[in-house]
Amino acid sequence: MKTIKAYLMLAVIALVVAACSGNGANNGRSGANAPDNASEAGSGKQEPVTIKYTFWGSPNEKKVQEAAIKGFMKKYPWITVKAQHIPEEYTTKLQTMAVSGETPDIGLLYGEDTMKWAEEGRLYNIKDFFDNDSEIQLTDVLENTQYWWDEGKLAGINGALEVFGLFYNKAMFEELGVEPLPTKAEEALSWEEFVEVAQRLTIDSGGRNALDPAFDPGKIKQFGISLPTWAYMNAVESNGGKFVNEDGTQFMLSEPEAVEAIQRWQDLIYKYHVAPTPTQSASFPGGATGLQSKKFAISMDGQWTLVDLGASGLDFGIGVLPVMKQMKTMNLGEPIVIFKDTKHPQEAWLLLKWMMNPENTLELQSSGLWMPVLKKWYEDPELIAKWAQGNSAHPEGYVDAILNNGFNNGFQNTVYYVRNVPEINSVLQPAFDLIWQGKQTAEQALGDVKPKVEAVLKGVYNR
Amino acid sequence: MIRSKKTKLALYALLIVLSCFCLFPFLWLIRSSLMQMSQIYETPPVWIPSPFQFGNYSEALTVLPFGRYFLNTSLIVVLEVTGVVLTSAVCAYAFARLRWPGRNVVFMIILTSMMLPGAVTLIPVFLGWSSLGAVNTIVPLTVPAWFGGGAFNVFLIRQFLLTIPKDLDEAALVDGAGYIRIFTHIMFPLAKPALIVVGLFSFLNGWNDFLGPLIYLNDEAKFTLALGLQLFKGMYNAQWHLMMAATTMVVLPAIVVFFLGQKYFVEGIVMSGVKG
Amino acid sequence: MTEAAARAGNPASSFKNRRKKEALYGYLLASPVILGFLIFVLGPMIASFIFSFTDYNVISRMNFVGLANYRNLFDGTDPFFYKSLGVTAYYVLLGVPLQIVCSFLMALLLNQNIQGRSIFRTIFYLPTIVPVVASSVLFLWLLNPDIGLFNQILEMLGLPTSQWIYSERMAVPSLVLMSLWTIGGTTVIFLAGLQGVPRHLYEAVEVDGGKARHRLLYVTIPLMTPTIFFNTVMGLIGGFQIFGQAYIMTQGGPNNATLFYSYYLYREAFDNFRMGSASAIAWVLFVIILAMTLLVFKSSNLWVFNENEEGKR
Repeated sequence: MKTIKAYLMLAVIALVVAACSGNGANNGRSGANAPDNASEAGSGKQEPVTIKYTFWGSPNEKKVQEAAIKGFMKKYPWITVKAQHIPEEYTTKLQTMAVSGETPDIGLLYGEDTMKWAEEGRLYNIKDFFDNDSEIQLTDVLENTQYWWDEGKLAGINGALEVFGLFYNKAMFEELGVEPLPTKAEEALSWEEFVEVAQRLTIDSGGRNALDPAFDPGKIKQFGISLPTWAYMNAVESNGGKFVNEDGTQFMLSEPEAVEAIQRWQDLIYKYHVAPTPTQSASFPGGATGLQSKKFAISMDGQWTLVDLGASGLDFGIGVLPVMKQMKTMNLGEPIVIFKDTKHPQEAWLLLKWMMNPENTLELQSSGLWMPVLKKWYEDPELIAKWAQGNSAHPEGYVDAILNNGFNNGFQNTVYYVRNVPEINSVLQPAFDLIWQGKQTAEQALGDVKPKVEAVLKGVYNR
Repeated sequence: MIRSKKTKLALYALLIVLSCFCLFPFLWLIRSSLMQMSQIYETPPVWIPSPFQFGNYSEALTVLPFGRYFLNTSLIVVLEVTGVVLTSAVCAYAFARLRWPGRNVVFMIILTSMMLPGAVTLIPVFLGWSSLGAVNTIVPLTVPAWFGGGAFNVFLIRQFLLTIPKDLDEAALVDGAGYIRIFTHIMFPLAKPALIVVGLFSFLNGWNDFLGPLIYLNDEAKFTLALGLQLFKGMYNAQWHLMMAATTMVVLPAIVVFFLGQKYFVEGIVMSGVKG
Repeated sequence: MTEAAARAGNPASSFKNRRKKEALYGYLLASPVILGFLIFVLGPMIASFIFSFTDYNVISRMNFVGLANYRNLFDGTDPFFYKSLGVTAYYVLLGVPLQIVCSFLMALLLNQNIQGRSIFRTIFYLPTIVPVVASSVLFLWLLNPDIGLFNQILEMLGLPTSQWIYSERMAVPSLVLMSLWTIGGTTVIFLAGLQGVPRHLYEAVEVDGGKARHRLLYVTIPLMTPTIFFNTVMGLIGGFQIFGQAYIMTQGGPNNATLFYSYYLYREAFDNFRMGSASAIAWVLFVIILAMTLLVFKSSNLWVFNENEEGKR
């Protein structure tokens, strides 16, 4: 009995190895058409293969991703992709699957988990696939969508790029006679100008704006701006600050540049009363719904909010982020990775490549949810027109304020390069609670938490 | 026992005030679920929605398949309740009516597990199910119910069976009935009030369980109502009118069952003498 | 029985056989709960005890680390341990006595012989059947500082409003308040206990000219002490395991003000997948609950009424 099992195992392994090396050779030799060759061969020789792909996302995202996968299966008929949508507690669920030996072959993974899993040797080095594939070069891919866990070791490529910008309700601007927000990075509002715009847009129940001496901050009817406090690195980097120092041994948010930037955000809430407190923002919806119901006039947010804005029918405008010392906008996104447990790495790679090509997920791009990860989709006007122009989610101004600005002035979110982010955040979060609740100044809270954070700093990842 | 009218009146007043405290959240829930978003923010608060926005319910339903979550939850709960009622009754019978060496010691030991915080066993049990590949199925949520249904339920039914006169089963024994027959034909029917209480308790437990499904279920398609509501909350943060509509849909089935079993719920528990 | 034995001829051996058969069936029929205990309680307990001395994280090889997990908790290496212990203790110490007192009073009220009693009982029990996710979402809304019902009512009455769960100071009291909404379960158990108080004792007090106050002090409360005891123990155990509210309403915030022990444990086990250290956390909880229960048990000699002295009721 045992010997039979062993033989079977051997046979399977042999088959897999043969299949893999066969594919590899194919890719190496036949260049750009490798997958097509494979597909032709597929009708007769390709063994049918099933791979599991896991992802999260809204119902809308789910639909489009599933459509993209259908297209993939049509192109590669011998590959069946079982797409599993896990909307909640994604990390936990994936760990669970790992325990039961049901790790997916390929899937989305949160940035911080990606790094951890990669270090534990649970992910493929994607760079090897790029090296063996003449169809696509690593240089084709935006740098800020790449998760490197060591020199020459690439853990994953984002499903999408995301950047920050300002989104506003045009009607509210017109009512109050406020100029539309600038869209070009060179013309961005300075911080002082931005505060003033926000003050003019904040109205109390007596109809006075926040510049009026009689303004009553206890009875605010509409706020100037909704602030993504969790994305404070936008302010920090714009003011020339850093999260940690070069080698990741020192906590830098307690340095003057960072403190000043975060203090400015806090001041929007407690000094100028133009942004809601965390408590206030808990009472009304954020994003598109908040703009639409006139709870606030400007939403500073990631560009994914466009998917809701586009669908809402609201007449909205787009502006470029305000600038402190330099224009910066945070780049973020969660990578798609290939799991080490997979028996079909080549097929998984084909799927990853498929998902990287905006052509195949065009609906996600044009709906406003995703931004492409391939450079030429930011440079070639013809390609840009395919997703970033002429649809309800991408009004005028998008190309300057979001697309170009993200492409030129993007910086990486901390998870891309700082080690041990989950632990750091669990220590840091309480300090930020105090800041956003107005209990302590940025200087006080960040100074106090510095030793605690430094106790869990573990350096940075080498690229 | 109450003599003066005054005391009686005061009593009623007090009861009514307290009832308001219990009922107001429900009213507020339903009121909010039928409002347009703009009306929710009006101050002073509007008490009666106008117009009644029944569309909130259909909107919540188009976002997430609460109907399917309802079926998923029902399946889990039915399996759970059946398991608990059947096996806890059988076990209680063994502890209450049959004499066997070590019975009381075993019973005491099992009773102590009532004091055990679930957290202690959570991790190994979870890892056990994981290694059996049972995660993302309803197995971990339902199978344990078929193992006696927990110490508390066995205890409850045992207490009840102890009150049934011994002559009954002895007479049956004399008539040549076996123990199984005595259980199925005498004890089980007689224990009905206690069984209903146990059934209702385990219904509520199953219906309200959050941690279990949270840990064991992955696929959205397999979610329970509780998980679905949590998911909905994540997607529609602070859109209170929709969240309240979804919440109502989660609460409603439990309330319906409660009223169906109302007679047994409170009075039954009171009468069956659940006490320390 | 004797009749049957006599018919069988040899009374002694038949009796023995019967006994044997009965025992066999006893084991057989009790086996589900015994197996359940072994599989789902005892086995996991042992496993969890062993895990607590390892660095088990599911993925990599498990190493024994001795007492390191416990040491990390107690020497403050883990910054959340004492915090979550404190927060949970605060919740329990504030919540359990309030719940006991309120539900006891409620039970006394509902035990009065009044019209519509069962309707009132139903009303008070109703909140307990709301799933914790639903009640959490509902209270998130009710406690909303800007437009929630609570603050609206306070405002109408001209009273100061509160930030409720969004304020570090008020977060735990808010959740205690929320727990009072669902005391129906405890109330019902008290009601059950009240049925067991013999009427003749009340009558005796009345004959002696005692008022309602005396009935309560000299009859009801002493006779109810076992139920109070039971509810206190169950309240403690339940209080230490509060999870859903923290998970759904506050995520442990603000500034860890609601980092309840079970939530902290969940985070360690299922977010960080540090099963070893999570098991240690669970065992500390177990020991705490055990100690508290024993303490209540020990003290019970002082205040719990002993039925046996009074004879069987």
